[in-house]
Amino acid sequence: MRAPTFLPDAEHARLPAGVGLGLRWEFLEELLEAPRLPLAFLEVSPENYMRRGGYYPEALEQVGTRYPLVTHGLTLSLGSIEAPAPEFVIELRAEIRRVKSPWHSDHLSFSRTGQRMTHELFPVPFNQNSIHRISERLKRLADELGVPMVIENITYYMAPGSPEIPEPEFLGELLEASGAGLLLDVNNVFVNAKNHGFDALDFLRRLPLERVAEIHVAGHESSKWDLLLDTHGAPVAPSVQELLAWVLARTGPLPVLLERDNNIPPLSGLMREVEELQAVYEQALGPTPNGGSEVAFAASP
Amino acid sequence: MQQALEAFIERVVFGAEIQVTDPASVDELLRSLQVSELECQALRLQLPRAVVYRQLVQSTLREAIELAVPRLVQRMGGIFDEYLQKFLREAGPRTHYLRDVTAEFLDFSEPLWETDRRVPRWARDLARHEALRIEVAACRHSSFPDEPEELNLEAAVRFTESSRLMRYQYAVHELSAELSDRTEPEARPTDLFVYRSADHDVRYLELSPLAASILRNLLSHQPLGHAMSLAYADHRVELDELHLQSTALLLADLAERGALLGSVPEPSGAGIPAPQN
Repeated sequence: MRAPTFLPDAEHARLPAGVGLGLRWEFLEELLEAPRLPLAFLEVSPENYMRRGGYYPEALEQVGTRYPLVTHGLTLSLGSIEAPAPEFVIELRAEIRRVKSPWHSDHLSFSRTGQRMTHELFPVPFNQNSIHRISERLKRLADELGVPMVIENITYYMAPGSPEIPEPEFLGELLEASGAGLLLDVNNVFVNAKNHGFDALDFLRRLPLERVAEIHVAGHESSKWDLLLDTHGAPVAPSVQELLAWVLARTGPLPVLLERDNNIPPLSGLMREVEELQAVYEQALGPTPNGGSEVAFAASP
Repeated sequence: MQQALEAFIERVVFGAEIQVTDPASVDELLRSLQVSELECQALRLQLPRAVVYRQLVQSTLREAIELAVPRLVQRMGGIFDEYLQKFLREAGPRTHYLRDVTAEFLDFSEPLWETDRRVPRWARDLARHEALRIEVAACRHSSFPDEPEELNLEAAVRFTESSRLMRYQYAVHELSAELSDRTEPEARPTDLFVYRSADHDVRYLELSPLAASILRNLLSHQPLGHAMSLAYADHRVELDELHLQSTALLLADLAERGALLGSVPEPSGAGIPAPQN
């Protein structure tokens, strides 16, 4: 087992290892009314709370007094030609500080085309130009947001042109050049492997696992297009759980997040899925009290 | 390559359907973007899978709008989808926030509805009325002292930022919440004061024409005394004890509801939302 690259001076960048849950409004009220649940942390999409007043930001503040929070964004569009708008970055920084997130993650993708926002994640070309543009952007964002940046590998249904560099090596070079951490979504690796016909384990073996800051797992579903879709609308498949265990056995304790965005069951049902993942987690690592150890991630210089 | 990819995706997800399904049209686009033949070939091969994204993007945006204006979508049926396609092709969403896509869609569509006889005359009122729920619920409030400033006839009045004064030509607020209901709203000019309560509910108050005029003047930053005089003159109402008392009751009620925050300390005016007509 290799220890992840966690730098000791990153006092601000701490998140408990163990299984956490993506916070969704569908169960926000239930979560507030329930006693403290065995969740290592909760992950929030800042865009849902930014530039907003009323119930949800207030509820989030209450949640934040009971659970560690980490922000996971949707719209930075890291891969776009155009940089994120300064006023958006300022708002995002305020939100990250408000929830005391140890880092900020977003996707290795683009979602803006010129001035239009698609609200979808598209893959960037796997080439040196992308590495240069995105790594410079990540370094700048880490400064502007005041926290380390973490990037997530996405699911993609179309290949972004002919690759200059294979995806795992592309990811490795980008992480090295940017100093960012990796949010490794093992379900995305599984879905891409099935849709594009490669071996998921081979892909994972080629990643710099020491740079993983957090892991995502979610459910996927078949579609009419003869593609698996990353819907976050079903329980985590056993094959994805196996990949999770494989990664954890090599990285050691990490924050692991269950994402569920569609067909969301009641909180009790979600907690059963969390328990199932906790069992996978413990089997991969040996028993660890949920929330009992902290993981710090810091950008390398 | 990234620039070409962005243009390709923009065409695929927002363009007219024919521009996506016709390979010659896609080739023309890629050539105009000076994409190498190798990349052209790679992207052309991906076209059937790129179309998956068209459906994903469009259904996400449609759902976001339908969540905000469900009755409008149901009542307009196919005409709504026609305008949605037009919006996507000609403008498209600009915002980072899905909740704001509806406002962008309505800003684009409403001027076009004016000249489209197929669009019911009440559509604009219903759209704005439905969209207001999320707008008011999500509006950011500044923090104010717990004790409101006492009202002063010489000073303007401060409302919470989520307070809105709406004027409709149709009584759309009286329509049933049932999505299947197709009752036509009554053609009746209506003034609604809309605000968010302390427990985060969006509340609607129907106002008399005089009360609406007073609030409209106040929301235009007129000092209280002047706002009242103007409204009374407009409605040819005597500034008598009875009317003064009912105005005082209205303002006291709004203060109790937490929508009216008292007089604006000198200098007046900053930060008060403009009235919406």
